[in-house]
Amino acid sequence: MAESNRGTFFSGAGLVWKWQRLVWWLFFVCLIFGFYSTQEMTERASFLLNNSAAAQRLVNGFDFSSIVTLQQLPDSPLEIQGHTILHFSILFVILMLFATGGILAAYVLGEKPTTTAFFEAAGHHFWRLFRLLIYLVIVLLPIAGLAAATNAIYTHIEDTSISPYPGDHVVEAAAIVILLLLIIVRVWFDMAQVIAVADDEKKMHRALRRAFTLFRHNFFSLLWLYLRVSIIEWLLFALGLHVWMFHLSPQSVVAAFLVSQLMILTWIGTRLWQRASEAIWYRNHQANHAAAPAWSPAPEPMYMPVAAPAPQQ
Amino acid sequence: MQLTKVFALAAASAIFCGPIFSQAAPAPADTATKTLSTRIVAYQIEAKLDPTKHTIAASESLTYKNLTGQPQQTFPFHLYLNAFQPQSTFMTEVRRSGTRGSGPDTEWDPKHFGSITVDKLEVAGAGDLTDKMQFIQPDDKNTDDHTVVQITLPKPIAPGASVEFHIVFHDVLPKVVERTGYAHDFDMVGQWFPKVGVWWKNAWNCHQFHANTEFFADFGTFDVKITVPQNEVVGAGGDLVSSATNPDGTKTLTYHSEDVHDFSWTASPSFTVVEDSWTGSQGPVKIHLLISPGHESSSQRYIKAAKGSLQLFDEWYGPYPYDRLTMVDPPHGGADAGGMEYPTLITLGTGVHMPQGVLAPEVVTEHEFGHQYWYGMVATNEFEEAWLDEGINSYTEVKVMDALYGKNTSVLNFPFAQMGESGLQQIGYLADPAKDPISRFAWLFYNNNSYGGITYSKTATMLLTLEKVIGEDTLRQALHTYFMRYRFTHPTGEDFLKTIEEVSGKDLHWYFNQAVYGTQVLDYSLADAHSDPLKWWDTAAHDSKKNDKDEIYRTYVTVVRKGDFQFPVDLEVKFEDHTTAAEHWDGQDRWVRYHYDRKAKIESAQIDAHSQITMDRDYFNNSYIEDANPRAAHKLRNIWVFASEWLSQLLAWLT
Repeated sequence: MAESNRGTFFSGAGLVWKWQRLVWWLFFVCLIFGFYSTQEMTERASFLLNNSAAAQRLVNGFDFSSIVTLQQLPDSPLEIQGHTILHFSILFVILMLFATGGILAAYVLGEKPTTTAFFEAAGHHFWRLFRLLIYLVIVLLPIAGLAAATNAIYTHIEDTSISPYPGDHVVEAAAIVILLLLIIVRVWFDMAQVIAVADDEKKMHRALRRAFTLFRHNFFSLLWLYLRVSIIEWLLFALGLHVWMFHLSPQSVVAAFLVSQLMILTWIGTRLWQRASEAIWYRNHQANHAAAPAWSPAPEPMYMPVAAPAPQQ
Repeated sequence: MQLTKVFALAAASAIFCGPIFSQAAPAPADTATKTLSTRIVAYQIEAKLDPTKHTIAASESLTYKNLTGQPQQTFPFHLYLNAFQPQSTFMTEVRRSGTRGSGPDTEWDPKHFGSITVDKLEVAGAGDLTDKMQFIQPDDKNTDDHTVVQITLPKPIAPGASVEFHIVFHDVLPKVVERTGYAHDFDMVGQWFPKVGVWWKNAWNCHQFHANTEFFADFGTFDVKITVPQNEVVGAGGDLVSSATNPDGTKTLTYHSEDVHDFSWTASPSFTVVEDSWTGSQGPVKIHLLISPGHESSSQRYIKAAKGSLQLFDEWYGPYPYDRLTMVDPPHGGADAGGMEYPTLITLGTGVHMPQGVLAPEVVTEHEFGHQYWYGMVATNEFEEAWLDEGINSYTEVKVMDALYGKNTSVLNFPFAQMGESGLQQIGYLADPAKDPISRFAWLFYNNNSYGGITYSKTATMLLTLEKVIGEDTLRQALHTYFMRYRFTHPTGEDFLKTIEEVSGKDLHWYFNQAVYGTQVLDYSLADAHSDPLKWWDTAAHDSKKNDKDEIYRTYVTVVRKGDFQFPVDLEVKFEDHTTAAEHWDGQDRWVRYHYDRKAKIESAQIDAHSQITMDRDYFNNSYIEDANPRAAHKLRNIWVFASEWLSQLLAWLT
């Protein structure tokens, strides 16, 4: 029987707000990476544009042909952006993987995450979460297959249908299904991460199995918990994009920067909101269902077992 | 100097006496019958479409009037649907270098098979000559290419005499490729009948079908009967003369067209017909728009662009003499049939949810309509001098689109991003500016990208840059003169360039040699601009005069020619005391340095201050502003940082 997640939704938001330091840290790291990854391009663009009258085409409006012209120049400032940005993004992913253990430990414990505790938990759980990441990639393969199949179906419909709409509708429907599947997978794996951290579960396949069972029994409740946050996430992002593209004056560099960063900040915040909500949900679930709860109100730090002596044979 | 006056007089005559020129032009019309063109060919075709198999069974009678001035015994014919076969020259070139919509190494798709088969060919007075037909390959000797066939008559046709060909043929339409073929229930029927070559420059001009080439044919009349199922909506490049229903559930539509050099048509039961009209200097023009399902929201955009183009072409370049314009919007899956011109029939292109800020429907409408002038009436050889139709048309596209939709917003018009037509042409040209000259035969270009960038965009930017030399109004007048003089004829590139020189009264060989016949790249750069105290060595005096208005500064401005293209350059220098200096450099040497002794430092220096030299590869290096303004770089950085962060967040979803 599905459990209610009443209150979990807002409690999760409260937890993220309460320990917003985590959000700010992730945001600033992301921002610094963003700056570093584009530093060389910016310097080259500055060299080219700062003293050029032609740069006004990009200031008073945004002349698309000027951007393409910049790209076509032999010493184009846009030339190297792809690789550098990708490298820094991958670095951020590794950092995020590392930080997740600390973040979840804080949310599961419900205690203020001190720097020491945070990094100890992060280090303690890093390889477990890495193994979960590998499992996740395997699980995502069929979804990638579904996307490929959708593409094939779309091509077939485009070849045969007189109307332009059926193909589009198939793609739209498939996009919704794939998006839902991705959220479902994320709920499942987030739950496995919570179990791995909360119960100090060493075996990730076991954590995944337990998470699957829990999710199966509380499918709609947990899905709705994530979906609501996702919808808020998307709406805020779309709003930010709309303001940036349609309402800001072309010359307003500072306002554009603030809006763009607000979008990233809310994206990080809402993602942590999902994690916090699920951690609280799991905490409540354990408190309600376990005779001897795996989680106790004042447990030892989750990373402690690492330092504990090996059990006697 | 005297010569210039003569040119100026000729230009003035051209400006004020355009129609006189057109009457005095070499054989623009058959004055005896007061036709617009010298009608060399008369086609009578009866065609029946099988919309299920996408095949056409047809018979053709062609009367060819020998105005070549010499006896003619051999006649070449285009059989262009045979290009859509794997061993053809067209497919070989596509496989090697790509073409529109297909990259190199394109795999052969049997659905794109097309063919035209001549079942019987008779010549009046000579009998059945079917066996005498012989495929020829004048361009590449590829014996597997069957896009040109030659017939040798038993005896020559005397000068001034006519010959009648009676041909029975059938077509297999390909799935749309190169602007011809079918998609779902839509059939676009172009280049579908045996079409005789052109006697030009004292030889037959009948090229094979190539990946980058279009068409060339003689003017004449077309009487075409098209039989289709009754539910089909038909559009054609001719006036509908009659319509009759047949007992077998079909209907036969009869079209007549004159003073044109090609005939195409389309059929689909899914078309919605939108009718409109426009009245110009030659009377009313009916506009038939055949719109495909899902594209209805683009109807009025097409119509508005067509009317605007008709109006401006009529005002600027000359009258539109036909009483109709058929516009065909291909359905989804048939986009490859879009963006094509035939006499009085053009094909367009849009999408189901085309944003208002993307002016693609307008651009394609204007461009294809423009071909009614630069191809339709001024019927240049699209194989050998493609720039005369595509290039001039791209230039007039810039002028018309900018006038209708705004100079900087005629392609993209959003609050967050804009693009004008001249910018579009500039980036098209600058993508690969130095591989081919404009004047190269179309099928001999390095690849499809070079062909597109040079033929369309370089010609447009070359003419935009020419405005700086002779003035925009003069160039417009030159185009008017060129149109009026050469409409309904087959002029050459030399005719075009001479007309510009004549109207402008200037010798422009120095420019055309580089821009049309050469591959030089134009790039002038403001290499240095700075001010220094004149008595820089007298530091004591200099320090004591800080902020002293009596301090004299020597300002140096150096302009460098980075490219091989030589072009005169105007320099504008501004000083802090609001004084200015202007220089004109002939641009011949590799660099030039100017210096000024003034009681003010430099504020800015700029070459081509009005952005007229659109051929300039890098216009960001054309200026120097003393007070750096980092706003543009910051704006770009905002986007780049956000993109980087956003990618990080998407990937971090995996963790």
